[in-house]
Amino acid sequence: VCMVAVCGAIPIGDLLDRASQRSDKLHSLSTLLTQELDTHFPPIGRMMMPRPSMCHTSTLQGPTDKDQALQVSEHNLMSLVRSLLQSWADPLVLLSANANTLPHPAQSSIASKIQELQENSKSLGDGLNIVSGRMGPAAQVVSVFPYQGNSDFGNDKISKLINFQFLLSCFRRDSHKIDSFLKVLRCRSAQIRPEMC
Amino acid sequence: LFFSVACGKVTGLGPPGKPTLTNCRSPEKETFTCWWKPGPDGGLPTTYALYYLKDNSETVYECPDYHTAGRNSCFFNKNETSVWVNYNITVVATNKMGRTFSDPVDVDVAYIVQPHTPENVTVNVMEDEGWPFLRVSWESPHKADIRSGWITLVYELRSKMEGEEEWEEHFPGQQKTFNIFSVRSGSSYLVQVRCRPDHGFWSEWSPTTKTKVPKFFLGRSLWIL
Repeated sequence: VCMVAVCGAIPIGDLLDRASQRSDKLHSLSTLLTQELDTHFPPIGRMMMPRPSMCHTSTLQGPTDKDQALQVSEHNLMSLVRSLLQSWADPLVLLSANANTLPHPAQSSIASKIQELQENSKSLGDGLNIVSGRMGPAAQVVSVFPYQGNSDFGNDKISKLINFQFLLSCFRRDSHKIDSFLKVLRCRSAQIRPEMC
Repeated sequence: LFFSVACGKVTGLGPPGKPTLTNCRSPEKETFTCWWKPGPDGGLPTTYALYYLKDNSETVYECPDYHTAGRNSCFFNKNETSVWVNYNITVVATNKMGRTFSDPVDVDVAYIVQPHTPENVTVNVMEDEGWPFLRVSWESPHKADIRSGWITLVYELRSKMEGEEEWEEHFPGQQKTFNIFSVRSGSSYLVQVRCRPDHGFWSEWSPTTKTKVPKFFLGRSLWIL
């Protein structure tokens, strides 16, 4: 998002604005990826897909509606966002590794989008380290959910596609959360510039 | 009894046809509505019920409100709406001869947001050094809470001179005002606005606002001459 030395001078509202542009991009990319995969997805795969409650981050206790989200303190929202993002560092590597051998006609396009996803996620993480540093110690508390799923997506075509799409759909939901919470944070810090919200 | 069964065969009475869940939409990420299309009714009075299961729960709930959103719909109010939670929804049609289930549909409110149309679209004719232009302004749909950041809206505007075929599109982003330059004096212009959330579907276009640009003369000085 920006270099440490330069960031110190930038208002926190502007930093959050840049961060939410990144998170917006992150979610849009994951949506594109899901749709691209869907174009050649075996119908049986839809029925065999694990439930979203099987996602490794699904035990995260976070707000699930507006009233809840608006009651969470800024520090806790930031801590939630960073916990979610950091919980995806390892599984994103896994998606990237498996994208290279994905049995799908759009394999190369998918692989390059996953690469972009990783880069965006990395730079969003770096940016949030700086923003949370400015917000104080409570915003820096992070609890990472370890990914304990299989690192091998299976040998047959259908298992590979199902495992890939399932992990991606988990990321898609989490990136929507991250984006929503960051945009709430952006508006809270933008009281002086309400036209941003 | 014999008579009614025989009669049933003759007129094709039977269990209801399969209903179809057609659409689920949330206008503001705080409530949502699902609509369904009844199948053939089997020639008998048929009632419909909507049931749903939420992630992490074995409990089957029935639709909380069949009235607010009109016929063949179910409305979920704020208290019954969670985001980032899957709702597995099924509609059941029932008549005297039996019941038929729709295909179930999975819904996460995060992915079905479609706002109402922008409100109070107004167009004013302004003047810049003797040249007319249109200033279009509008308000966000009042139900969408953009102030808190819970939902973010971007807008699209389209305009055309009365009688023209093609609309011209404009993209003001998150702004709620837009100037249209190069308008012809003495002509009428039609303007519509719609909005889209950061992740979701475009709203309908607002009703057309029609504005007449009065006759202007080049540089105004010509007028004085």
